Amino acid sequence: MDAPLDRDLILRARRGETEAYGELVARHQNSVFNVCYRMLHERGEAEDMTQETFIRAHSRLDGFDLERPFGPWIRRVAANVCLNHLESQKVTIELDDERDAGESDRPEAVYEVRERSEQIRRALASLPAHYRAVIELRHYQEMSYDEIATELRIPLSDVKSNLFRARKLLAEKLT
Amino acid sequence: MTHLSDEILNEYLDDAFSDRISAEKHLAECADCAARLAALQALFTQLDSLPEMTLSRDLAAPVMRRVRGSGFLPRWLTLTMVLQAALALIVTMVAAPFVIEFASASMPALEAPSLTETIVEVQLQWMAWLDALSQFEVPSVPTIPAADISSLSFLFVLAAVSILWLVGNGLLLRNQNK
Repeated sequence: MDAPLDRDLILRARRGETEAYGELVARHQNSVFNVCYRMLHERGEAEDMTQETFIRAHSRLDGFDLERPFGPWIRRVAANVCLNHLESQKVTIELDDERDAGESDRPEAVYEVRERSEQIRRALASLPAHYRAVIELRHYQEMSYDEIATELRIPLSDVKSNLFRARKLLAEKLT
Repeated sequence: MTHLSDEILNEYLDDAFSDRISAEKHLAECADCAARLAALQALFTQLDSLPEMTLSRDLAAPVMRRVRGSGFLPRWLTLTMVLQAALALIVTMVAAPFVIEFASASMPALEAPSLTETIVEVQLQWMAWLDALSQFEVPSVPTIPAADISSLSFLFVLAAVSILWLVGNGLLLRNQNK
């Protein structure tokens, strides 16, 4: 039997079927977690914010446009949840020492990939919260400037300048 | 030759620069701008190369627990609650004249008595109520002049409302216990 579409699961979740929402969570939790991990760079914190994202999204399900895909929407919600979390905390989170898995079997190559990934993640995590948000939405969610402006409720000029400055900082840290 | 600014190079790579043709023409002729564009492109590639991480635990179960405990109700259940509240209000308004009439006929007026008198009076009333209850016969319910509803119709309405009320509460409780 074919797996139900996200749309069907959302309709069932709207009718109060918690299990249907649980299936949506199971489908999208990893991509949402990756958004949170890129923005927070701390596994425990990222898992908490992943949960928080799904809780908030559940209360907004009635307003979700069924004609649009659920994945990009929930990842945008995640980026906003993380941004709000970072701005409310205003403290430095202790960063994970976790390394990314490499695709190559050669130990040196695996090590190099992991080190490079870790370097990028650390560089991202060192950015101010609003810079992280624009990088996440532009590079990983592939949103346009206009969409980012709408999502973050900031002027288009701020999107451009934040992206420009964020990339400049990243380039400095990664060279 | 005027070089392309860093802002323009960013917009160019983001497909957000309107005059792409002139930018491409300049990039083809200017090694300096082409090198700056290549450096920026390399940063994009690095960001794209970041591998996906894997969750260490399934979050579906804790999310479902929290959703159940959040008291969030689907729209149709919220409507049921609103309907119940509206019905309760209507029944109260319809029943009020009957209750007042019945109460005024069976209870004597109280004249600001002292606390002791009040307690004694309440006890006496209570005894009288118990006595009346033991000899209670179902009174004929008066008709409502404005709506011209007979006693039987009124009882049917009350019964229907009670059933609706019970069904609504059953649905709400079932949803809560899921």
